[in-house]
Amino acid sequence: MIKVVVVGGGWSGCAAALGAAKGGAQVVLCERTDMLLGTGLVGGIFRNNGRYTAAEEAIAMGGGDLFVAMDANTRHKGVEFPGHSHASFYDVATMEPLVKKILQNYGIEIRTKTRVVNVTRYGKKIQAVVVDGGEDIKGDVFLDTTGTAGPMGNCLTYGNGCAMCMLRCPAFGPRVGVAAKCEIKELMGQKADGSFGAMSGSCKLNKDSLSKEIRDQLDSEGVVVLPVPENLRKTSSLGKKACSQYALPEYAANLVLLDTGHAKLMTSYFPIEDLRAIPGLERARYEDPCAGGVGNSMRYLGIAPCSNSLKVESLDNLFCAGEKCMPLVGHTEAVVTGLLAGHNAVRHVLDMQYLELPRSLATGDFIAFTHEQMNVEEGLRKRYTFAGSVYFERMKELSLYSTSRTEISERVAQAGLADIYNSCMV
Amino acid sequence: MRKLLSQCIDINSQYCPCLLADTNHCVFCSHLKGQSVCDCNWSGVCILYEKHWQSKKRTSGNGEIPIRIEVETQFNIINQFSPDVYMLEFEVTSNLAQQLTKTGSFVFLRRPQDPHFYHFPVGIMKVTGNSLQVVIETIGPKSTRIIADDNRQLLVRGPYYNGILGQPWIDNLTNGKVVLIAGGMGQPPALPIAAKLIKNTNEVIAILAPGAIGKTIIGEELCELGVQVHEVSAFRKDGIVMLEELCAKRPDLLVSAGPDDQHYAIINVLQSIDVNIPMAVTNNATMCCGEGICGSCQKETLDNKMICTCKVQTDFTQLVPY
Repeated sequence: MIKVVVVGGGWSGCAAALGAAKGGAQVVLCERTDMLLGTGLVGGIFRNNGRYTAAEEAIAMGGGDLFVAMDANTRHKGVEFPGHSHASFYDVATMEPLVKKILQNYGIEIRTKTRVVNVTRYGKKIQAVVVDGGEDIKGDVFLDTTGTAGPMGNCLTYGNGCAMCMLRCPAFGPRVGVAAKCEIKELMGQKADGSFGAMSGSCKLNKDSLSKEIRDQLDSEGVVVLPVPENLRKTSSLGKKACSQYALPEYAANLVLLDTGHAKLMTSYFPIEDLRAIPGLERARYEDPCAGGVGNSMRYLGIAPCSNSLKVESLDNLFCAGEKCMPLVGHTEAVVTGLLAGHNAVRHVLDMQYLELPRSLATGDFIAFTHEQMNVEEGLRKRYTFAGSVYFERMKELSLYSTSRTEISERVAQAGLADIYNSCMV
Repeated sequence: MRKLLSQCIDINSQYCPCLLADTNHCVFCSHLKGQSVCDCNWSGVCILYEKHWQSKKRTSGNGEIPIRIEVETQFNIINQFSPDVYMLEFEVTSNLAQQLTKTGSFVFLRRPQDPHFYHFPVGIMKVTGNSLQVVIETIGPKSTRIIADDNRQLLVRGPYYNGILGQPWIDNLTNGKVVLIAGGMGQPPALPIAAKLIKNTNEVIAILAPGAIGKTIIGEELCELGVQVHEVSAFRKDGIVMLEELCAKRPDLLVSAGPDDQHYAIINVLQSIDVNIPMAVTNNATMCCGEGICGSCQKETLDNKMICTCKVQTDFTQLVPY
């Protein structure tokens, strides 16, 4: 039986494990912490703008399990907030066990508190990954979905220090990238000013610490927009954000709160004394990162060079997905790249031609375009997402953006990829 | 048992980050090696962070990097085992004494008025209150200075910790079976090792050989601890046979306290009977500074890395044999 080892249990790792399991492989998913989903444990936004199209493409290609689960676990659907249409918010408090259950139903072996610290390889072929403590996990093919965020030293060097985010490095140990351990020279995303890394773009407030009016509005509408007093506006912090779809002037003039179970605050960090100067937030406190008043996690500090099939260059049997494969933003982006990488991992062992998604699909164009941009000067200073910024503009120009389920599934069928992820190849 | 990962013995102690971090030569932190991103396996407190906060402290006060404690004291010779082998006892501050109770602790000794390069490393044999017992062999220019001219003054510098390669195995083993081989000047540091192993409810069998000093000196004390002691006249003659028998019963850990020749002889025994048991050994590297700076204790590992054995833990069998 084909054995696939996925390292990193965030959204992209979960999707990669699923993609490989659906393709017919035996899958082990290693996660450093005690829960899956990574930053998905505090995220929650999907289906906004072009992400709708990408999610529907994945569903039409037969890889919709995770999106269906998100849909089934939403707190709000069809929410409009500045710059974003038809967004859904899944409930961050209850999402993880649901995903775990789905993966287990596919027979995926989930190993939490299993931190990969090294690899054993002969030449270009990885034989096994080495877990903290010395155990080897052997496999035929490997997936690096370790992300690009943290650990503490990077957050200190490139950001404002460890803000005690959901990644919980001090408790579970630092992220170790598989590609990096194979001596692949990783790329680093940059801020608009050229310095390395970018700060995660949102922090989360404890809902119970907000005024009753705000809480009620969040519960009923999913979104609250609070004007920021003139003296607290800091447009200069916008360029440092990871999520360029929220780096809009509206977000400097207003505080946008979204109800994901937490009150998601669409800014990287906000000093708590300033936050509490805003009516309704007098007692506000942070839920994630714990020190959201001073900073947030730093990302894009280890992107593996890879092809559009998501195979890591210079290695025979390593694929990557999520932030590891390009400077992308968001759960949707992580899931769609994860599915492709997991699927291609199985193809690798079967000596089949790798699947590359055509540019007639938003996902295919997204992967190809982002990889092209990474070779362009300043390309690594931008973030790529279906939800905004340069790529959403491009989606609209190329008429790839659609919210019509029928239209999207027809496109997928025309490309000959209907239900492709559901076909067992073994 | 857990595989022994190479690790700095001072990591996350009050002596970390050390002088090496100041010059971008930290054993562990990639940033403090001059690299641009994190690439470490350490799941304890981030060393870069410690450095970050320490730097703030340093600008606000007089603090230097916490290099070791120095205590000037007087010693008594409480035993002489052979013409050149003396057991010394001396008092130090409670702070230093307390820090020397860790397995593998050692100190540097010299006469207070001598230049610092006269100091030499000595493993701790026993800590009782603030009083330390050590055994020295006065054969070199440094150690001879200690007792020359009826000197009784001593400058003690410490604590240093990397006296045993494989120390985590000793600290972490509980309810196991251990064979301890101690020969010659390896006997004094074997005593606290045995005490630690017994404290962790392990069964310890010791083979003692007189070695170059011509005497076994810790037999009685080991018996009092509850160790099953076998004294042999020569390790190579009788000890090896005994060791082969004991190893066939697959103990959890071997501890070799003695010269490197003894460590290698034991490795040969293990290879000849084809068993693979973790082995902790006393660290016999020549040490001058103890801080990873001077390079005198540097050894090469089988994966072609150079490590300073005064700071870095490793499995002795992973060192290139000389």
